[in-house]
Amino acid sequence: MLTFIARRTASGALLLVVISLLTYVLLSVPDTDIGRQLLGQSADQASVDAKNAALGLDRPVLEQYADWLTHAVRGDLGTSWFTSEDVATAVWGRLPVTASLMVGVTLVTTTVSFLLGVWAGVRRGAVDRFVQVLGVVGYALPGFLVTLVLVLVFAVRLNWFPAIGYIPFAESPGGWLSTIALPVLSLSVASVAGVSQQVRGAVIDVLRQDYVRTLRARGLPPSRIVFRHVLRNASAPALSVLGMQFVGLLGGAVVVEQIFGLPGIGSMTVTYTTRGDIPVIMALVMLTVVGVVLINLLVDIVIGWLNPKARAA
Amino acid sequence: MTRSTRTGAAAACLAAALAVAGCSGAGTTGSGSSTLNIATMTFPQSLDPAQAVGSALPFFQATYDTLVKREPDGEFRPMLATAWKYNADRTELALTLREDVKFADGTAFDAAAVKANMERFKKGGGADAKWLKDLEAVEMKDASHATLQLKQPNPAMLFYLSDAAGLMANPAAFGKGDSLKTTPDGTGPYRLDTAKTTIGTKWVYQRNPDYWGEALPYETLTMSFFDNETAIVNGLKTGQVNAALLQSADQQISIEADPRMKTTKQEFDFQGLLLFDRGGALTPALKDARVRQALNLAVDRETMLRAIRQNRGEITSQVFGPDTRGYAEELDTYYAHDPDRARELLRAAGHGDGFTLKLPRISAIVNDALAASLAADFEAVGVKLVWDDLDGASAVRKVFTDRAYSGMVMNIGQSSSDWVVVDELVNPGAFNMFGTTDATVRELVARVQSGTAEQAGTAVRSLNEHLVEQGWFVPFYRMSYLHVSDGTVTVRPQSGMAVPSIYNYSPAK
Repeated sequence: MLTFIARRTASGALLLVVISLLTYVLLSVPDTDIGRQLLGQSADQASVDAKNAALGLDRPVLEQYADWLTHAVRGDLGTSWFTSEDVATAVWGRLPVTASLMVGVTLVTTTVSFLLGVWAGVRRGAVDRFVQVLGVVGYALPGFLVTLVLVLVFAVRLNWFPAIGYIPFAESPGGWLSTIALPVLSLSVASVAGVSQQVRGAVIDVLRQDYVRTLRARGLPPSRIVFRHVLRNASAPALSVLGMQFVGLLGGAVVVEQIFGLPGIGSMTVTYTTRGDIPVIMALVMLTVVGVVLINLLVDIVIGWLNPKARAA
Repeated sequence: MTRSTRTGAAAACLAAALAVAGCSGAGTTGSGSSTLNIATMTFPQSLDPAQAVGSALPFFQATYDTLVKREPDGEFRPMLATAWKYNADRTELALTLREDVKFADGTAFDAAAVKANMERFKKGGGADAKWLKDLEAVEMKDASHATLQLKQPNPAMLFYLSDAAGLMANPAAFGKGDSLKTTPDGTGPYRLDTAKTTIGTKWVYQRNPDYWGEALPYETLTMSFFDNETAIVNGLKTGQVNAALLQSADQQISIEADPRMKTTKQEFDFQGLLLFDRGGALTPALKDARVRQALNLAVDRETMLRAIRQNRGEITSQVFGPDTRGYAEELDTYYAHDPDRARELLRAAGHGDGFTLKLPRISAIVNDALAASLAADFEAVGVKLVWDDLDGASAVRKVFTDRAYSGMVMNIGQSSSDWVVVDELVNPGAFNMFGTTDATVRELVARVQSGTAEQAGTAVRSLNEHLVEQGWFVPFYRMSYLHVSDGTVTVRPQSGMAVPSIYNYSPAK
């Protein structure tokens, strides 16, 4: 297991360097003029040139990248060009918002989809058909539409939840819950739809296996068979899907954070990328790559722990 | 447990969870009159006044005072300067300063602070640093008297002192590296609550207990940045946002339908085609005034306003706004839609077969409807309009750095200061990038700059008339913006500024 983790970490680090170089070069290619964007259309050219020189943008791209990299490995991610804020502080400040969403969605997805999947897989018949229809509908609905409807109904019309903004957990746990409830709900719709189908399929497969028949024949209570034996074996495929959903959530978070005006990583990515704020974009890209590598590693470890056979693979 | 009781229990759990969340949600929505939440789509790159930009002024007004206060109607009133006086040729502006003002650390606000701030603003490299290009030196007579020495008269000096160039920070902070960029240090009515502020999304200000002036009606002032008006509108409807400015006609219509909202209209930006190439360097035809007049006559402003802004605005043929002395109402309708006359003028100018005009297009400004409408209007008189699709960033480079186009369709804010308009659009510089001018313009600009108030007023009106007649620009219309509050706030629009000053908000009665 340790060699496995070490190998994954090393390949992750290499991935980080390659992606950072590609990102930096691609971001620097567009025919943009950061100094002009910062100072506005009516600024005179001399000020614009001075601004670009002050940011080091008059140097070759690779030199700029090398400079960024040497600072980054020392933990200095630089200063945002557009808000003058320390990049690490800015990203760190927004991380809890997106983390709240992702953890919330994962909890809701895991709980609800395992319940639905097992229910459908064990009961079959009408229940199964109902869950399947639910899955198709949940998957087919566009995420932004679900979000907009939830905002209009539960925030604007009924006023049960705030329509925008985020309250940190430390400030008010109740407030925190109220601000993330609708975003989590809207992000969960599609992921519950995906994962519950996976659980359902896996449960049905496992139930058909010989050892389940043997267990039944030995008179074990059905609930024990399902929760002790079936679920454990059915979890692996579901967890892989859950891991992928988690990574995919980053994309969903962009839309949801914009609609709810949440100051998270998703909305930050959009705002700062459109402006071309390279120091911030680089930090966000690095964070995403590290996140994806870690999640995949975690999923593999959990699957290995649940099912020793997977470790050999 | 039967299946139905299990389902019932699950439903009860869900209801309880919703109720818990719902209760706490309700607690956060009502903001009360002690907090003012303003939503905005602009924000400052830095809170350091040396880099301040007029359009982000409210962020600075909270923590900094300006030397001169600009009232909603554009009048200048005392603030940190209690009186001001020009010398005879208006190259010296003497300021008398308040004596009871201190920064948070006890440093006194005095003439030395004025000198330090203005010199720093001039060299600070901010977008509006050019405003102080005419400032030669700041002379200190004593602690409460400073005199601004100007290289030449500048009729907008008081405007600048009521805007970004007049913001006064604590000189003690100047030596502390970049600290002012994120931690402002001024004498203003509020202090930035750094613990609750997330730069880039939400700025929280708490009332300054030591403020020298009259306290503003709100204990806490919050400014939140949004990149879309949908979130702002939702926030207004739930009371999480108390006040905001809406630009899009669709959002304006949707919010007006809600009886709880209070709305006030203001015309600020104009949209139009700014012609840069009046010397004919890129498009030779544009050198002839008759061609520029023909373009003005070709545009069907009424239809454009109706189709693109749903009639939210006023058509215009001039770039001066109604708050300036240069404005003349009759110039709004100077160029009525007349394709026949336009074709005649083109023929007379030797372009009866038409010509091709290439313009950059940023879809955020020129949407499909506007692009098609303008192309059709020009086509009808024989001018072929070619749109070059660009993204915002590269357009800015190509237009302003490379000077690759003869003109550009833009939205431009209309200042309340005549001189700001002249300096921005008429004097050689960013928006007159080819530096074209003529004898009449030179003479009138000189009179606007150096004449008495009366002479300057007459000159700027003649200048505006001349620019319209000569077809320097092809303005379409001024756009109505809507100041909206959730019903708890009264907002007074600020003359010459899209976003109101922070002094213009008060609890609704």
